[in-house]
Amino acid sequence: MITNSKGATGPAVAFRDVVKVYHPDIKALDHVTFDIQPGETVALLGPNGAGKSTAIDTMLGLRAPTSGEVRILGGSPAAAVAAGQISGMLQNGGLPEGAKVSELIGLFRQLYRDRRSTTELLTLAGIADLADRRVEKLSGGQTQRVRFALALAGNAELLFLDEPTAALDVEARRHFWQSVDTIARQGATVLFATHYLEEADANATRIIVVNHGRVIADGTPAQIKAFTAIRTLRFGAQAPDPSELLKLPGVTDVVVNGDAVTVRTSDADDTLPALYALGPQIKSMEVGGGGLEEALIALTTADNGPVTEGVA
Amino acid sequence: MAAFLRFEIVRGLRNVRFVVFIAGFPVLLYLIYAKQTGTSQGLTVAAILMVSMAVWSGMGSAMFATGPQLAKERQNGWMRQLRVSPISAPRWFTAKLAQGLLLIIPGFVLLILLGFGYGHVHLAAGRVATLAAVILLGVIPFCALGLVIGLMFDGQTAQVAQMLTLLVLAFLGGIFIPYSNLPHVMQEIANVLPSYHLVQLGWNAVAGRALGVRHVLALAAWTVALGLIAVWRWRQESTTA
Repeated sequence: MITNSKGATGPAVAFRDVVKVYHPDIKALDHVTFDIQPGETVALLGPNGAGKSTAIDTMLGLRAPTSGEVRILGGSPAAAVAAGQISGMLQNGGLPEGAKVSELIGLFRQLYRDRRSTTELLTLAGIADLADRRVEKLSGGQTQRVRFALALAGNAELLFLDEPTAALDVEARRHFWQSVDTIARQGATVLFATHYLEEADANATRIIVVNHGRVIADGTPAQIKAFTAIRTLRFGAQAPDPSELLKLPGVTDVVVNGDAVTVRTSDADDTLPALYALGPQIKSMEVGGGGLEEALIALTTADNGPVTEGVA
Repeated sequence: MAAFLRFEIVRGLRNVRFVVFIAGFPVLLYLIYAKQTGTSQGLTVAAILMVSMAVWSGMGSAMFATGPQLAKERQNGWMRQLRVSPISAPRWFTAKLAQGLLLIIPGFVLLILLGFGYGHVHLAAGRVATLAAVILLGVIPFCALGLVIGLMFDGQTAQVAQMLTLLVLAFLGGIFIPYSNLPHVMQEIANVLPSYHLVQLGWNAVAGRALGVRHVLALAAWTVALGLIAVWRWRQESTTA
């Protein structure tokens, strides 16, 4: 086990039974529990509105949980922020007008006792050519890279990145993940939120899947990818009975919309013969699926309840 | 904090609208009106106007750093980024206030130079120093007012709110229109406004009269009241967020 700066061994993040309620009917976080160990690179994966940003804001001390406990490096989020042990790249963060990129980086370096060199920051964030640029002249992707540099200015032990590549093009994205890898190799613990499934798979050592404020899967990318065996069967049938279809082997959920049926299955080889044996006239069968995208849909749909009926 | 303050001042001075506002506008008005002849309560028009414009410029600079700029940064997420950096909220607010105070200096210096060079105002160094101290300390309630505006309104709205507040304070406070020319009702209103008390202090300083405890107390009361509102609003925002 890696020891953290306080010399104590323990999780970098302890998220215990955390609930965050914004509105009596909406639980942004619904009894979420997980630990993140020092040195892990964890992806928080889920669709928009799943609770990823709320979870990250809570870990950074920007929001207080309604109930439950959040411990960062053994202490409170606020203490970790004040000590410069953690840093974050938030979603939609703007930069202050009138400042030059080099001035911003200079300022942030001075806020931390343990800091990276300017040259290293410019290289890691890929913004060496932007140092003299005023922030209002930056494009969305350039702004995002500058914000990445600010998050790296202090040599924080724990780095939170909330949808960090949203505005980046392919090349910038590749460079970004290379830099995250470099930082992780230097010993930093990284937690990033994303709804880019390939990104989670390619860059994390562990994926926590969240939806509707709950953790619906937590495992290595390989384990999460086991769900990619999921296939979607689309076909037409006369007066299909959802409850019958749901009993077929491998079927995880059924959507019936008039004569059109969509069935998701974890084992199409078992489901298909059973489906044809069931009798209803099956027309225009399409088999689709595979990939992490499907896995997420399957996971989140399972979370919503197995059967959906009616007009889509 | 020094690094933060330097950073804020450098980028503030790059804001063209701000520089025009603190320096361009009062200088222009001064050039237009300072040559009028006449005296009032022992001061020439040139001297009266020098004080008025210095007060106007000071109020504006003090409110800019804390008002529209703050509102914009609350809205665009910069403040959230600062909240996850090691700079603490009290230090950050102190830097903002210091920024507001330091940024009044260029406008002030410019108007004193104009007053002396163009308006032929003759003042002993002691009186200039008193005026400088009066304005520097006297704009503190305006920094607090800016904070309230910056924390109450969002980006563009804050800009409009600040301009309107400033104009109302200037007109009703007797900065643009002499207090004695105001209708009685307006004089009653002026009597409670911080702008009225600040400009009165300024004229008293230049004329070498007693500054007036009443004015100092009024400005102190405004500072406390607005400061409390700003703290309340800040707490509200950072706890319910």
